[in-house]
Amino acid sequence: MTETNSGTKRLQSSYFSSIVSISLVLFMLGLLGMLVLDARKISDYVKEHVQLNVFLNDELSDQEISAFQSILEKEAAIKSLRFISKQEALDSLKKDLGTDATGMLDINPLPSSFELKLKAEFTDAETLKKLAAEIRENKMVREVTYQQTEVDKMNENFQVIAFGILLFCVLLFFVAVALINSTIRIAMYSKRFLIKSMQLVGATKSFIRKPFLARALVHGLYAGFIACLLLGGLLYLLSTKLPELVQIQDLKANGILFAGIIVLGVLLSVISTFFAVNRYLRVRVEELY
Amino acid sequence: MSEAIVKLTGINIYQSKNLILSGVNLQIDKGEFVYLIGKTGSGKSSLLKMIYGDVELVEGEGHVAGFSLNNLKKKQVPYLRRRLGIVFQDFQLLTDRSINDNLLFVLKATGWNDKSKMLSRVNEVLEKVHLTTKGFKMPHELSGGEQQRVVIARALLNDPELILADEPTGNLDPETSDSIMRLLFEISNSGRAVLMATHNYSLMDKFPARTIKCENGKITEELQSA
Repeated sequence: MTETNSGTKRLQSSYFSSIVSISLVLFMLGLLGMLVLDARKISDYVKEHVQLNVFLNDELSDQEISAFQSILEKEAAIKSLRFISKQEALDSLKKDLGTDATGMLDINPLPSSFELKLKAEFTDAETLKKLAAEIRENKMVREVTYQQTEVDKMNENFQVIAFGILLFCVLLFFVAVALINSTIRIAMYSKRFLIKSMQLVGATKSFIRKPFLARALVHGLYAGFIACLLLGGLLYLLSTKLPELVQIQDLKANGILFAGIIVLGVLLSVISTFFAVNRYLRVRVEELY
Repeated sequence: MSEAIVKLTGINIYQSKNLILSGVNLQIDKGEFVYLIGKTGSGKSSLLKMIYGDVELVEGEGHVAGFSLNNLKKKQVPYLRRRLGIVFQDFQLLTDRSINDNLLFVLKATGWNDKSKMLSRVNEVLEKVHLTTKGFKMPHELSGGEQQRVVIARALLNDPELILADEPTGNLDPETSDSIMRLLFEISNSGRAVLMATHNYSLMDKFPARTIKCENGKITEELQSA
């Protein structure tokens, strides 16, 4: 009786480990898929955080400022803008430096300013330069600043990163297929005598294959669901730490990705099993040992 | 009464391009009991493999249980095997299921689909090997002799015309061996041919029958020792 139990246990644990390894590989692929899906959105997100600071001359009236603001608001490249008064600028400086340091100041040397956020498609170096020059021409403007080099670097990096991710994706996919394939082959190896015995009593190949494929389908489904659960969990965990992440999540794209992971799990599991079983269906008895 | 179940004429048997046996002529008739002897490596198992379709026939002519071994398609091999009963040392029962399920599996695999007919067939063959009460046991819960009986019962399921047995008494004590031998002779008396490969000469003295020998790449007919 104990022998039966340990036998079943061993069998179950081999199924368990193959499901776990398939789901981990799918999880990795899903993570990468998510990264690719979000890469564009992340890049837009970062680009739209490129900001242009427009410092104004002192002694401008409120009307003049709001007139200037409405001019800026009409500008196509600008996504949003925020007015920072002299007092606000001082407060934020105080906060940055600590209260002690600002005690020395009698007057407020800081200018009031507009903080401009730009639409992603207007963040290339050329457009930025033109826009800054345009705004600088206005008499009310003392200075326009933006981080030129950072913007350039960022624009360059996105292309390199996107290419890198794609390359990594392809590589990981092959590793994943190889891993899943060998996991399944090992599981099948333990069944080689069973397969041979079935052949000897006159079972056809398709009859022998059927239950293995059915089981592979179920295991693929399990692995896919586990991978999706892990991904969903990770996403949830991240969103509690990084609320900005929620903004850039596209539910529909994620749904497609999750469905894709499950389908991929089933396909990989079933196809690998098919080839593994076929291998042992073809092999001669002497080669089994 | 001379209905040939196995008829091989002028066959050469190769194993990975080495000629193992040449010029094999062998006829086994319905209900005949035949011993196959010879040293390990003499080609006994290759001959058996040829008969059950695991080795391709390239030279000569062969007929087994109504199938021609010449141009035997891979797809036909399972159907040939359903006409044979195979009792091998290596191919024991499926260890992950009970005796009944082992036998039911074979029936399902060979195209039976009426549940009640299947159950009654399982009972019939278990009765023949005197094991009707053990159907719900797992293979490892039975003794070696009992397991071998189940294997024989399994071989009988599809009412084969020929039983191929390779050392069916290999790991068994003399008394159990005797009972297995009696069982095989019963089967042969009921009209099936039995071809049994063995090294056990004392058993052959006890249960005399036609004997063929593989030696030096040929097979020869041994004279009856009885």
